[in-house]
Amino acid sequence: MHELSIATSIVESVLEFVEKHDIKEVVEVRLLIGELMGVEQEQLRFCYSAITKETAIENSTLEFDRIGASVYCPHCNYRGGPKYWDDALSFMPVITLQCPECGRAVEATQGTECAIKAIRYVA
Amino acid sequence: MIQTIEASPDEIYDIELEHSLLEANARLAKENRALLDRHGVTAIDVMGAIGSGKTTLIGCIVSRLKDQVGVAVFNGDATTSSDADLIAQSVPVVQIATINGCHLDANLVGKALHKTELQGLRLILIENIGNLICPAEFPLGSKARVVVVSVTEGQYMVRKHPHMFLGADVVVINKVDLAEAMQVKVEDLTRDVHTLKPDIKVIPTSCKDGTGLEAVADVLLAL
Repeated sequence: MHELSIATSIVESVLEFVEKHDIKEVVEVRLLIGELMGVEQEQLRFCYSAITKETAIENSTLEFDRIGASVYCPHCNYRGGPKYWDDALSFMPVITLQCPECGRAVEATQGTECAIKAIRYVA
Repeated sequence: MIQTIEASPDEIYDIELEHSLLEANARLAKENRALLDRHGVTAIDVMGAIGSGKTTLIGCIVSRLKDQVGVAVFNGDATTSSDADLIAQSVPVVQIATINGCHLDANLVGKALHKTELQGLRLILIENIGNLICPAEFPLGSKARVVVVSVTEGQYMVRKHPHMFLGADVVVINKVDLAEAMQVKVEDLTRDVHTLKPDIKVIPTSCKDGTGLEAVADVLLAL
């Protein structure tokens, strides 16, 4: 349940923001979550709603902007989307760090984000 | 009673923050790394499922290396100190109790580092909590991550936990002496690892008959 650690970090940041700017009500917290981060949306929402109870932000909702992964291959200079493992017996394709062009190891250039993008609030 | 405040659109403000949620941990991880680098110590994060054999493997590696270089072990465990007790018989061990937390973080490791005499050490093996999901997003300040998977976890362990392997620098396939009994092929597990992450070092080991232990020790010393 690392979602709980992340939810705690969100709540701390938002409460700090609310206090600093004397905000009446937070409506929405928008997150940027990269594809490579393994953050589960429903669990994060659940943790968030559980730990915001009886705080100044308990009526706020959590929204997600998912960011797809991009990779760079230092072997063949490929830049673009990652290769997916389609027949991994998973219910969805599994992302890999294998170059779609040459098959060697790539580096992730996008998709490791885990941040609060924006806060919507009533002043 | 829960009150709901409905804001009219002209009262609602949007503020762009771009505030990283893992930054606090990442910053502490960097501090840990800087401290380790200053003392010429290499820390290795050892991750793997419960029962994959992390403790036994660390014990075997430690007894191989302790006469050549200074080695210490940080032992992450949710509650008990049974693993730490086992290894403490030969080298310095710091027990890190997460009290039901599912992963170590850079803060806990930082505290352990300040309790450790770094002078004269070359290697710290950090045994993470037995969990293949959570530790992936929490760097500790180690130089490399070793993921331990054993044949007794079945043939699909790698594809079930792709995230952990994507973040690994070395993969150890442990308990290979049991592969036949488990009807698991080490080559299949190796191929799955390489499908996720080509070029990564995969070392089959058995703590029972000693297979691969020297290779693991060599790789750790070369990091």
